[in-house]
Order: sequence, then C-alpha cells, then structure tokens
Amino acid sequence: MNSSLLSETFKIVLLGTLAILFVAVNALFLVWMERRVAARFQLRRGPIHVGWQGSLQTLADALKLLSKELVFPHEANKFLYLLAPLLAFAPIVCAFVILPLGPGAVIRDLNVGFLLLFALTNISFIGIFMAGWASNNKYGALGSMRAVAQNISYEIPLLLSTMGVVMAAQTMKLSEIVSLQEKAWFITVQPLAFLLFFCSSLAEANRAPFDIPEAESELVAGFHTEYSGMRFALFFLGEYTAIFVSSAVAAALFLGGWQGPLLPGPFWLLLKTYALVFTVMWVRWTFPRLRSDQLMNFAWKVLIPFGILNVFGTALWLYFEKFFA
Amino acid sequence: MPTLAEKDIKTWLLENVKPDEFLEKDFKKSGILFEAVVPSGKIRETAAEFLAQGYFLESLTAVDFAECFEVVYHFNRWESPPKRCCVKILVPKEENKAPSISSIYKSANWFEREVYDLFGIHFTDHPNLKRILLPESSAIFPLLKSFKGEPAGSDVEQSLKLIEEDKEGFEIRYPQTITEHQKEYYLNLGPQHPSTHGVLRILLHLSGERVLDAEPIIGYAHRHHEKMMEIQTYQACWPNMGRLDYVGAMSYNFAYALLVEKAMGIQPSRRVEFIRVITTELNRITSHLLWLGTFLMDLGAFTPFFYCFDDRERILDILEMVTGERLTYDYFRFGGLDKDVPADFVPAVKAFIPHFKKRLRDYDLLITKNIIFQKRTKGVGVLSRENALAYGVTGPCLRASGVPFDLRRDEPYSIYPELDFDVAAAKDGDVFSRHLVRMQEMRESLKIVSQIIDKIPPGEITLGKLPKNVPKGETYTAVEGARGLFGMCLLSDGSLNPYRLKLRTPSFSNLNAMIDMVHGCFVSDVVSVLGSLDVVLPEIDR
Amino acid sequence: MEINPKELELMGKTQSPPPGLVNFFKVEDVFNLARAHSLWPLTFGLACCAIELMAGGAARFDMDRFGFGVVRPSPRQADLMIVAGTISRKMAPCIKTLYDQMPSPKYVIALGGCATAGGPFKYPGQYGILEGIDKIIPVNVYVPGCPPRPEALLAGILELQKQIIEGKAQGRTSPAVVHDSQDNRPAEHKNAISRAEFRKTT
Repeated sequence: MNSSLLSETFKIVLLGTLAILFVAVNALFLVWMERRVAARFQLRRGPIHVGWQGSLQTLADALKLLSKELVFPHEANKFLYLLAPLLAFAPIVCAFVILPLGPGAVIRDLNVGFLLLFALTNISFIGIFMAGWASNNKYGALGSMRAVAQNISYEIPLLLSTMGVVMAAQTMKLSEIVSLQEKAWFITVQPLAFLLFFCSSLAEANRAPFDIPEAESELVAGFHTEYSGMRFALFFLGEYTAIFVSSAVAAALFLGGWQGPLLPGPFWLLLKTYALVFTVMWVRWTFPRLRSDQLMNFAWKVLIPFGILNVFGTALWLYFEKFFA
Repeated sequence: MPTLAEKDIKTWLLENVKPDEFLEKDFKKSGILFEAVVPSGKIRETAAEFLAQGYFLESLTAVDFAECFEVVYHFNRWESPPKRCCVKILVPKEENKAPSISSIYKSANWFEREVYDLFGIHFTDHPNLKRILLPESSAIFPLLKSFKGEPAGSDVEQSLKLIEEDKEGFEIRYPQTITEHQKEYYLNLGPQHPSTHGVLRILLHLSGERVLDAEPIIGYAHRHHEKMMEIQTYQACWPNMGRLDYVGAMSYNFAYALLVEKAMGIQPSRRVEFIRVITTELNRITSHLLWLGTFLMDLGAFTPFFYCFDDRERILDILEMVTGERLTYDYFRFGGLDKDVPADFVPAVKAFIPHFKKRLRDYDLLITKNIIFQKRTKGVGVLSRENALAYGVTGPCLRASGVPFDLRRDEPYSIYPELDFDVAAAKDGDVFSRHLVRMQEMRESLKIVSQIIDKIPPGEITLGKLPKNVPKGETYTAVEGARGLFGMCLLSDGSLNPYRLKLRTPSFSNLNAMIDMVHGCFVSDVVSVLGSLDVVLPEIDR
Repeated sequence: MEINPKELELMGKTQSPPPGLVNFFKVEDVFNLARAHSLWPLTFGLACCAIELMAGGAARFDMDRFGFGVVRPSPRQADLMIVAGTISRKMAPCIKTLYDQMPSPKYVIALGGCATAGGPFKYPGQYGILEGIDKIIPVNVYVPGCPPRPEALLAGILELQKQIIEGKAQGRTSPAVVHDSQDNRPAEHKNAISRAEFRKTT
C-alpha cells in the first residue's frame, strides 16, 4: 500500500467524521432555532429553562431519544423497517461531499456537481417510502404513498429551475458556479428560477405548506408513525439536514455562495444558508397545508410550465447575447 | 304563510291521524304549541307529513312509565315565531317495539339508536340498530327505572372484563389487515387522533385516499349525565351543565336556568338578565375562538391557535373574575346568579372590546384572505338545505347553508328581543361559509356586549329562597348555544329530582350530518369538514 | 444548566451504586436528567381537562419553556401520557392500548378529578365510567382540580420532573376496589310512576 492511498483514506475518514459531527450539531441547533423562531411567531418564549436560553434543550431531547426503548411493531417487515431510517439519513450526509464551503474548500469538486446531489437526496425518499411501507401501519402507508407522489412531481421543477443557472454558467461544477457570481449573484439574472427552486426544495424537504407525507392533523405522524427512539431521531436529523443542504445549495447557486466582503467564505455561506433556513421556518409557521391533489396541481400546472419557460427564456437570452456583445 | 302552515299540520293531524290524545299548550309555559299522542302505526305517516311541511326533527327520546314507554318526538321549523310541536307514541312494555322513522328523517337514525341503547326499545325496520353510546358488549339499559345502578361500579375486575370483551368485538367487526391487491380498505380515524377534537372515532371506508363511506362512532365520552340528573336534586345538576359543552358552558347554564324558571313560573330581575346575556356572549366568543384555533390547526396552520388562545385567555380572565372558573361554569341559579359581578368587570370588558376588534381584523387579513386556506375550504363538505333539514342541523352550520335561523331572534328569550344584532348567514354551505359565519358571529356577539355593557341596571341578583321541587308537568326549553340549538325536555313528577331530563345537544345532529358531507372527499377534507362542524364530544355522548 | 447544582446534589443523595462488575448508574443519571427535561406528551384529550391542557401549551402558559412542548400524536414517540378527562368504559381499552404502545421509559399524569378517581361523575352504582385511570395503568403524578388550571398542570409536570431526576419515577396502580367515604352516599333511584296518574294531575 503506498502512502498516498493511506493519506487519502485518512482524509476520507477524517472528513466523513467531521461531516457527521457537523450534521449532528447543526441539526441540534436547527431544532432549537425552529422552536425559538416558532415561539416568537406565536407570542410565547419557547424553550428557555434548560441551559442558557434553552440551548441544552435539544441535547436533552437527543439523549432521551437515545435511551428510549426501540419498539418493533407487530408483523412489520423487519429488514426494511430497520434499513429505512438509515437509508433516509445517510444519503443526505453524503451530499456534503460536493458542498463548496470556500474557494477550494470542497471535499470532491465533481464536474457533475449537483446532479450527484439530487441523485443522493432522492435516495432518501426510498428510505421514507420503505419506512411507511414496512411498518405495517395504514397511516404510514398513506404517508409514504404521498411522499413518493410528491417527490416524483417536485423533482422535475427542481431540476428545471437549476437548468437556467447551469445554462448561464456553462458548467455543472458547484465551485465554478459560485466563482462566477463574483460580480452579480445569479438571483439577479434568474429570479424566477430562484423562486421555483425555493418552492420545490420546500416540497422536497417535506416542509409546510407541503408537509403532506407527515401531515400531523391528518395522518398522525405519517411515514414515521411507528418509529420510536433513535430511529425516529434519524428521520428528524435527515429532515433538518435536508433543509440545511437545500438551503446551502440555493445559497451557492443563487446567492453567491461563499462570496462576500471582509469575512471568510464559509462564514458567508453559513450566514446565507441560515437566512434561507429562517425563511423556510417563517413559511412553515405562517401557512396552512395544501391538500395532496392541490400539491400535485401546483407542481404540474404552475411550477413545471414556469420552469420550462425559464429554460426557454435563458436559451433565447444566451443565443441573442452573442449578437449584442 | 306561517300561520297557514301551522293550521295545516294541526288540522291535518286531527283529520287524518285522529290522535288518541290531543292537547293545546301554552307556548310561553311549556315551550311547545301542542302535544298529540298518535297510534304507533301512524307515526311514519305523521313524520312524512311533518317533513313535507318543512319541519325538522329536533329531538327524539323516550320516557319510562310503569305501564308503557312514551316515545317523544319534537318537530320544529326554521321560522319565527317558533313552531315546536310534540308528538308521542305509546309503546307497551311487553311488546317493546316501535316503528322506525329513520327512512324519513335521516337524523332519526342516531336518535333511535340512542333510545334503543338507553331504554332497550326496538325500532322495527331500522337499518343499523346497535349500541351507540355504551360499549357494544353492554347488557344494561341504564335509563330504565328498573335499572338500579351497577353494584360493581368501582370494581376494577369487572371493568377489566368489560374492556377485554370490547376489544374482541372491536376486532371481529372491522378486520384490520389489508389483503393483497385490495384497493378498498378501512381506516380508523381516532379515538386518539390529533384532529378528532377529543374521543371521536370515524371509521373511513377508503379507496386510495378517496372516502367511500364514513361512519362516526361515538360514545367514548359517555358520562351518564341524564341518569345522574335523575338521581340528584335540581340544584345538584348545575355542575353537569358546566361539563356538557365545556367550551360554551354559559349557554347551557342559560338553558337550564330558563327551563326551571319556566317550570316554576318565576322571572329573574333585569340586572340578572343583562349579566346573563353579557357573560353568555363573551363565552360564545371564547367558544368560537377555540374553534378557529383548532380548525386552523387541522388545516396545518399552527400559529393562529396561539393567537386565538391569547384572546381567549383575556376573556377567561374576565369570566374568571365573575364566576371564579375558567371553563366549566356553574354561575347561573334559578331566578338569579351565583354572585354579582365585581366592580372591575365593566372596565375590563370595555378594555377588551377595542383589542378584540383589532384582532378580528387581523384574523380576516391573515386567515380568511389566505389563498391556501380558501383553496382548502371552498366547495368542500357542502351541506345542502335538504340535508340540513333531514339531519336537523342547527347553529352556525345551518346558517352557513343559507338558513338564517337563530333562536336568539326566532324564539327570543331573556332580553335578546331588545338587542340590535344581525343573524350571520352565508349561502354556500361549505367549510368556508361555516368559517365566515362564525367569524361574523364573533363580531355580532361583540356588538351585543358593547351595546349593553354600560346599561346594566341595578337590581337583586337572586330571588331569595325558592321551593326545592319543580311542579309536576312537562317543559321544553331551547337556547342558541355556540354550536346550535340546545334543547332540554323536562318531565317532572313534582319531587326533588327530575323524572326524566332529555338533553338535545346540537353537535349530535351536526355530526350525524357529516356522513353525507364527506362522500368522495379526500382524507384531508374529512379533517377540515370535521373541524368546521365544531363538535364537542362530551356534549354528543353526554 | 440553571437547575443543575441542586439536581446534582439530589442525585448524590438518593442514588447509591448498585452492586455489579460494571456500574452504569452515572450514565443512567445523565439519561434521567435528559429524560426529565424532555418530556414529550401524547396528543390526547378526553374531556374538559383537555382544553386546559391545550391552554397549558398555548401562548400564556407555554409548556415548551421547560421542554414539554413537543406534543407527539403518535404514542411511539411520546414519553408522557397526560390522561385529561373522564375515562368512559368504552374508552378505557383504548387508553390501555395507547399506554402499551408507548416505548419505555414512560410516565403518566392523571389530570383532574375524573382521571384521578372519577370526579363529579362518580356515584354509587354508576355504569359509565372507570373511576380513576390508576385502575388500569400506573400513574406517576395526580393533579387535582375540575378542571385543574394550566399552572397546576405545569406544577404536576415539574413534580414528575423531580421524580425522574431522583430516579424514583415508578408509577403505581391502585388496589382493585377502593372504599372511600363518598361511596356511602345513597343513590335515590326512583321507581317508574304510572303514566295515567301523571296525566291525570297535569
């Protein structure tokens, strides 16, 4: 075994550990933030008594979930039931591989960039479907069916909206897309694409008003109705990490990623990402939930036509730009 | 027109049915226009004529006498002045059978099941005659006078045995597994479900997410109110009034006070009337606020819940100041009130009015005008006028279907005739209309309160010592509760406690109407329809 | 953590290391601390008390301050069952099932008079309710009142929190038959009167 292979392995292990650590801490922070933000919207305080300003609240929740009994429902499909939370969580962590934190600060700068990212986040939907299907619960089954329908519908506008950026940037490498935004963020040239991307990513992350797979007032808890303890926590972790990842991608594609004055790149990226996450929470605590058929209508009749229009418009602009330049 | 129709039904009865007994009654004293005892063979014919003339079945109950059962039907019409008529049939004890009118009035289906459940009277040709309030394994008919209570009331072994039996019945009747390639299946919504507002269970027959059939299963909060009232004194029934519909308990207090005052022939002072109306209207606002918050929660919007509860707490502060309770009020007394209002009461109410006006504007802007909310509610769960009549729906649900029928105006009691308020109504009959009606009702209630808060006259708040028993006779009283028409039918034998006290609760009929409202809907719509009906389960199960 | 020093002191007093090769009691203490500060109640209301339970979670009282605000609709994810209201005979089996579905460690609070002992609906020979939830599932804390104020509910949960931190949160069921002084009240069940008599006089 040569030394470069060894160091490479070491690097992968180190970065993987760091990513998982970050995911855990980030999810704890996001849950705390969500609860505090929600409380502010709702005329109350939120968690304040456990630790300074309730900062240890989510840690307590996590420890408690770790120590809960793991229930295995009667007549569930054991293999799928156990595999589902892992499959829903792991791919989203993998998405950190291509996330550019700063100039050159990216684990693997692949030339198919975010295509890989979308491929990975889609795998987590298989996990969600398996969870609902395997737990032998009708609410779970209904929730997972809804999740699949939603995922299929919203994947298309999500990719269509990014196509505009790709066409404008002429590359699929995330780091290059970010570097191109030195002068002007892509949101200025692709505002419609940003809106489409934001809506679709809300739906992809199962967030209100598109949270029908786990619609609490309809399906009890949707696909994770039968999951307890740490298995349930994995779904939770996955959900919050997915929000973070999609917000980070939106920041990289449209808001200039690490670009910003004075402060170092990663800080700017995190700032933009958390600002977007805050918007996601704002939306969640403001709107009622859509019905499943309205959700499909919104994807197929509104988002996709506008997505195609955006691609078409970008193509025209690119074509005629040559003549004006 | 109205007088003609009234003559019609009376003359029709006298000519065609030839009642065994016929009594004209004083509406002011008994709450009904006339009482007719018809031969039991002719009740179906009579009911059909009542339906044809636009009467709805307000209540159906029974009374257990030594020689026979009396099955009592109250019919009423959406009209002012009120047209409540009482029709009775006698059921001999040895035969124990009565003809069912459930094919004529859809609401009779549940009413007859209830009578069967509590008295054991069999209704012939009833499509689904089984227990409704008690567990299906029960062997008792508790409202029979021969039922002297279960000696094993607090015996845990007995209870556990019952529990086991129930479980078995539960699984046999509704097979739980989905077989292969089966598109249609059953889904149990409840009894523990976040949006059934308590312990309602709805058995949904689904094809995918489409509802083919829905069967509400009630009785999970049956607390034997009616039996309790038969064995305790009139005074001791007050706490029951606070716990029937705990969200809008003042209206129930009002009904009970009016009932006994009517039966005893007493009249409270003006001051008492004013305070009663103010507290009842404030309580109506809290009830509608609770509905608004939880309804929006059913639709997936969490934040309005907290705003509604914030406003609700402000009213509860005022009512607590007056009554000492936050929720389960027993504030009224026969011919008076428990205590006078404190000095801070009037300023507190006055401070609340402008605040709430501003909040109502906010709710309109943020909820009523929200596009997702409108998409979710418009055209969903439509209740037609015909169905409203057949099911005997009352209250905001009825007014949303284009029938401005409000007992505060149409069968005026207390000082309501002197007040200036509009009866809120909408015409579409869908979930959105019901929302609009309730929002409007909050405004109207606020209008009533602001009209009379400055005009509370001085006066006594009790009538002093009253006899403890109620004179012999039958009395019917109805008030407009927050959910609709709440009726009480008292049969007093002149002793210290009621012989029979039937509680006609609005949610019972309103929930029954849901069966026809959710056909072809999605599961999500079931939740929003149920939310828009604003049911309170202990009021249904009693 | 704000309440930390006191709690640590309490733990030191009440816990002694159990015999054995490997002791996990310190770990168990940490977990207990976490459990005590993260009690997720089950969305579950039976009657009047449920409204006060909702008020406890709403803006003015805000149970979420102490970390009790994550109300889970699925029993699999809940730690705390707040039995809020009257337990009818028809509902009792469902409550038992729900309790069995919750993963341990799980705790129960009996909220209000009905869940504690039948409340105002208890009379000799009653046929409809179960007199106290502790007849079928173990209860940790009883909160009296009809209905209890939201503050009382909060006090009840904080009491449970204290029990958990001390490692003493074992619920108890009550003996099968409870004789209390109220059971001696005679119930006046009437006999049926004659209809003819009744009609004659009115």
